Amino acid sequence: MASATMQTGIFEDLQRKIDEDTAIKDALRDIVQSLEKQDRNTQSTLSRVHSTPPAKLGGIIEAAQSSIQEEIQIVRQLEVVASQHPYYKFNYAWTRQMQDVCYSILLCGYLGGFGKPASGQLLTIEEVGGLMGVPVNLKERDAFHLTIEEYLLALVSLIEELSRLARNSVTLGEFRRPLQISQFVKDVHAGFQILNLKNDALRKRSDGIKYRVKDVEDVVYDLSLRGLLPKD
Amino acid sequence: MAKKRDYSTMSASAPSPYIGMFEQFRTELDEHYDRRERIIKASRDITAASKKIIFTLQRIRQLAQPLSPHIVKGNQQYYDAISTQFAAVSKDLQGLNAHRYARQISGGCQEYIEAATFQHYLTTANLLPYSDAAAQMRLLDATGVGVELSVEDYILGVYDMTGELMKFAITAMATSGTLPTPSTSSDAPQKVEADADVASDKRNVLTDLRELRSALEALDPGLGPFAKEAEKKMEVMRSSVEKVERALYGLTVRGAERPKGWMPDVMDGGRGLEVEG
Repeated sequence: MASATMQTGIFEDLQRKIDEDTAIKDALRDIVQSLEKQDRNTQSTLSRVHSTPPAKLGGIIEAAQSSIQEEIQIVRQLEVVASQHPYYKFNYAWTRQMQDVCYSILLCGYLGGFGKPASGQLLTIEEVGGLMGVPVNLKERDAFHLTIEEYLLALVSLIEELSRLARNSVTLGEFRRPLQISQFVKDVHAGFQILNLKNDALRKRSDGIKYRVKDVEDVVYDLSLRGLLPKD
Repeated sequence: MAKKRDYSTMSASAPSPYIGMFEQFRTELDEHYDRRERIIKASRDITAASKKIIFTLQRIRQLAQPLSPHIVKGNQQYYDAISTQFAAVSKDLQGLNAHRYARQISGGCQEYIEAATFQHYLTTANLLPYSDAAAQMRLLDATGVGVELSVEDYILGVYDMTGELMKFAITAMATSGTLPTPSTSSDAPQKVEADADVASDKRNVLTDLRELRSALEALDPGLGPFAKEAEKKMEVMRSSVEKVERALYGLTVRGAERPKGWMPDVMDGGRGLEVEG
């Protein structure tokens, strides 16, 4: 015997579940937005590097580092909220911003921040995770972490920024840095080339690295042609 | 161009210091891509088998009746295929990875729910509740942990099921001149046109469709990818209900004039977005 009506009331239960998720997304959005805001601050500080001679970078790096410390505080807040839920259920809500934080850290580290003895160094994913205070590349444990994809996408952003910095270094009369950047960009490019990427965001973005390699090579070429490269 | 090599030789010789790090990434990413591809493939196969089940179910003309043995027998192979596929990927969809590949398995889950809810409606004239659907889906992986059904996939599957109800209703009207009802299907079919039964509160496929429609319309999907998908399916569902209403209108107005076996051309509309003008 069929009941008088279809049991469409069961959607009420589902609505409650959807509403719960909506509330979580709202809470996450607030944190992620403040993270985004803080990262804009860091980026605006770091962008001064294009018009500052390397010898005077100290102040910029210091300012960027303390802004990044603020970001890391927000990442910690994010971790607290995100850890209460399956990681990948909501990770789309913060993955862009985590990439951005990672990129800021990588750029700052490359310029000699975070206790790196010299410029031109690449912070590993473990080092970045260590600075953020979050685990990296988790495979079994379901917890908040920095993913390989986020790190690699941030690395692509770093390459793009450095190719710009190579040109602007020349404008500043700094001819050594383009050489250093050229070497670095080629080394990272060589790394990306051994990955078997499938059609996704990482593939699309990393496809552009070869053009950045060429951009920087062109700068070095221009310098070498005019005998402007440092002799040692 | 030849000149370019003058300075580049210095880098060409030494291998990149980051190769080791990237080799590690490669291992991890390969694992991830392989898993993702397995899941995509399973999802496609589940979708195809579910479509075949639905196709067979569309040969049914009555409501709230047990499935005839030849339909059960005919569909068994597709249920087996679905079981095999769910079992093949259930391990890939556990723990941390349960949500990681949600987008990849979603299509298969939705299509399966469409078939399961449709079959449940045909045999019981009721909507298969989420908890039962989730339990059913978990059981498909008889020996393993099973695949978890998300609320979102369930709802999207129900949206699609309304399209099947539309086809079922219209085919029944076209072939027998009546709208299937749960209460009368065991007795002699009642003619719809008699005594404006339509207007009464008796249940039939159309009243159920309308009820589903209003329940789905009342649902607030929030924001995000699910909301976007639900919005698209909402349009299709609305036009499905309208197609049945039009067909019933035709049946009521022209009823007796209609030659036996005449099919309204809405049949072709299927699940397309187009609402015929």
